[in-house]
Amino acid sequence: MLLIIAKRVISTLITLFGVTVVIFVILRLLPGNAIESAMGTNAGLLSHGQILQLDHYYGIGQSPFSQFFDWLGATLRGNLGVSLANRVSVASLIGSAFPVTLELAIMTMILGVLIGVLFGVIGALRPGRWGDAAGQGVALVGLGIPSFVLGTAAVTIMSSGFGYFPSSQTYAGLFSDPWLNLQQLFFPALVLSIGIGAAIMRTTRTAVLDVSTQNFIRTARGKGLRGQAVIWRHLFLNALVPVVTMSGIQLGYLLGGTVIIEQIFVLPGLGRLLVTSINNHDYPVVQSVTLLFAACFVVLNLLTDAICALIDPRQRDN
Amino acid sequence: MSSRFARAKSRACIAVGVAAALSASVGVAAATAAKPAAKAKSSTFVVGATSSVLKLDPDIVTNFLDFQALGVIYDPLVQYNASSKIVPDLATSWKYSNGGKALTFVLRRNVKFDDGTTFTSANVVASIKRAQAKATDDPSASYVASVTKVVPQGKYKVKFVLKTADTSVLDGLTSVNLAMLSTKAIKAGSVAKKPDGTGPFEYKSYTPDQSFTVSANPSYWGGAPKLSSVEFKTIPTESSIAAALKANTVQLGLMTDPTVATHLPSSFKVDKTLDSSYRAIMINSTSSPFSNEDNRLALACAISRQNVVQAALLGQGESVGPVPLGQYKSNPTAAICPTQDTAKAKSYLAAAGNPSGFSFTILVSDDIDGTTSAAMTEVQNELAQVGITMTINNESTSQYVQDWLAGNFQATYAENGANPNPYVMYNRYFGTGASLGKPAGYANSTLASMLTNADAATTPKAEASDYKAVSTFLTKNAVWDWLFDGYQYAAMSSKVKGFILPPDRQLYSLKSVSVG
Repeated sequence: MLLIIAKRVISTLITLFGVTVVIFVILRLLPGNAIESAMGTNAGLLSHGQILQLDHYYGIGQSPFSQFFDWLGATLRGNLGVSLANRVSVASLIGSAFPVTLELAIMTMILGVLIGVLFGVIGALRPGRWGDAAGQGVALVGLGIPSFVLGTAAVTIMSSGFGYFPSSQTYAGLFSDPWLNLQQLFFPALVLSIGIGAAIMRTTRTAVLDVSTQNFIRTARGKGLRGQAVIWRHLFLNALVPVVTMSGIQLGYLLGGTVIIEQIFVLPGLGRLLVTSINNHDYPVVQSVTLLFAACFVVLNLLTDAICALIDPRQRDN
Repeated sequence: MSSRFARAKSRACIAVGVAAALSASVGVAAATAAKPAAKAKSSTFVVGATSSVLKLDPDIVTNFLDFQALGVIYDPLVQYNASSKIVPDLATSWKYSNGGKALTFVLRRNVKFDDGTTFTSANVVASIKRAQAKATDDPSASYVASVTKVVPQGKYKVKFVLKTADTSVLDGLTSVNLAMLSTKAIKAGSVAKKPDGTGPFEYKSYTPDQSFTVSANPSYWGGAPKLSSVEFKTIPTESSIAAALKANTVQLGLMTDPTVATHLPSSFKVDKTLDSSYRAIMINSTSSPFSNEDNRLALACAISRQNVVQAALLGQGESVGPVPLGQYKSNPTAAICPTQDTAKAKSYLAAAGNPSGFSFTILVSDDIDGTTSAAMTEVQNELAQVGITMTINNESTSQYVQDWLAGNFQATYAENGANPNPYVMYNRYFGTGASLGKPAGYANSTLASMLTNADAATTPKAEASDYKAVSTFLTKNAVWDWLFDGYQYAAMSSKVKGFILPPDRQLYSLKSVSVG
């Protein structure tokens, strides 16, 4: 067991190191730098002396090799550096943006799982009937309409029809103003959850249908178990593994995939921070945020595996 | 068995119903609770903008919202009025002497910085010295490059000693980059951390990428503002700014997209002003085909600027000449071909030895300027009418900036900053040793001398005549093709009184704003 854990930890560290290298190289391959991003074509007005000063100011005068290892060394010591755009510590920028995205992702997952699992089970229990058709319709809408279209439509309807757009107020933290916080995050989460719910619904439906034809279900019914017990204890529990896997993957994507919704709903989350930082060639912020995304993804994969092993004894044995 | 499934289904249906009801109730309850929440914040006047404040040091800012936000905290010596004329601010009057080589300012009295210190000539000396220092990296330092010394003449008078006669110093001094700073803050090294000016508002708080808040300065020399505090809030898209205006969580929205600004309900006021930037096709005359002046003139006559404005901005802009604003504004009808003239274009092509036209590639970046695709497609179609084939090379922002700076193009579609002083606009491109000589793609000693002479002119009449000559030279020689200038919009509720959006887009008028 210890060997398995050690192997997973080592592979996780290798993955994260790989991510840092890839991101570092991609960022340096992009044309331009922080000075040109800040000044645009006015960068041409700078004298050679001013460019050297600014290179020093932005910390981009060193060789890429030493930039990478300086940053990696500092990161391992817990120092994520300072934003090139506004000289604020990267840790504080991430510290204020991460809770927003995490809360949005969790709220989206709760709504998504609720929608997906319930419609999926209903559809699978009576395939081809009205409940199934309704679920399939919701899935089609959820998967077919991009979230930015739904988001823009929601914002327009709320603001034009009801004069209501809570997200445009200064962001309220979960603990400082929970009610306003709930209002600010509920609608973006609802918009995101329709797409997520659709994917989970289809997985749930397929998994439940698949398991319902298995011999052990027939046996369970044959030995006289009640319908509810068959459905929830035998059928649903055995269909849960692909649902949990799908939910884990979706949550991972959500942590990095809320960019457009954060823009539309004016939420100061990690996605918005990443977009702004890429535009500004703000290397320390982009590197740290990407590393955080990768770490979240890896941790979520581990958690998903652990939950699957908990649900399914066969995986535990393997 | 089917009855068991039916029971399970009905329970699942109930669960879905409960979930839906829960969601709906949160939504409805949230909607009903939202208005009091919005009202609770109403004491702060919120300005919505798509960008965010990036830096707090006025000497080094380059982002436009930084200029706007810090512009309500700091005062310059002089500023532009709504007609782009230079008017007093912290300097009440000024005078050139010694053949234009000395500029003396009389300073305003009873002006206090937010730290309580009094504004005097010592602040002017310290502020200009800091702006000129290499270590500061002030992007506007070139405006005061001709200033060799700043000499106090008592507490409320100061003299700028200039290397050569240079009237553009005054235009430079309108910039927030050259605003007056507190000597105490400079000495303490706190300028970049806590803004400290003499303007109508004082710094309150800053959350990167979210908001920048200022509060009324009760001891402002022009009288305390009516608004108790102003928040500059980052709202990443203009459609979200429009939604926030409708929800009354934002009271003033700064916009550039006519499709958003002109479609707000009639209960909103929308102020518009011509932008302090212009769009032009910059031509590289150092190589074929544009080294031939007739080819450049053919290009100028083949394009309908009016149609380009219609295509790019739905008509929400104006066609312009080389000087798009201010007292020396060019008359666009004085261009070689004020409207499209394909016959004339063909005659220029014949004179150039290209009767059937020629081909070239234009460098553009859709990322930088949203008008690019529409404007360039229109130009492409118009040029095709006279046999000129234009290939569009659309690059990412960073690549575009690099190629632009290196002059690595035959022609480029650019949005360039305008200034009421033509010397400030064009000396960087066409002056002697111009820093942007490569992207300018045109070097001519006569034009360089004309610019120097205009800058040294000491009478308004001579200045006007010299700048008219510069404008005529640029259009007659088809140095570039000046296309159009778009509008900037400020949308606000009809309850907002006293706000004016001037051409330099500064928000000084916030000091006079009240919400009825």
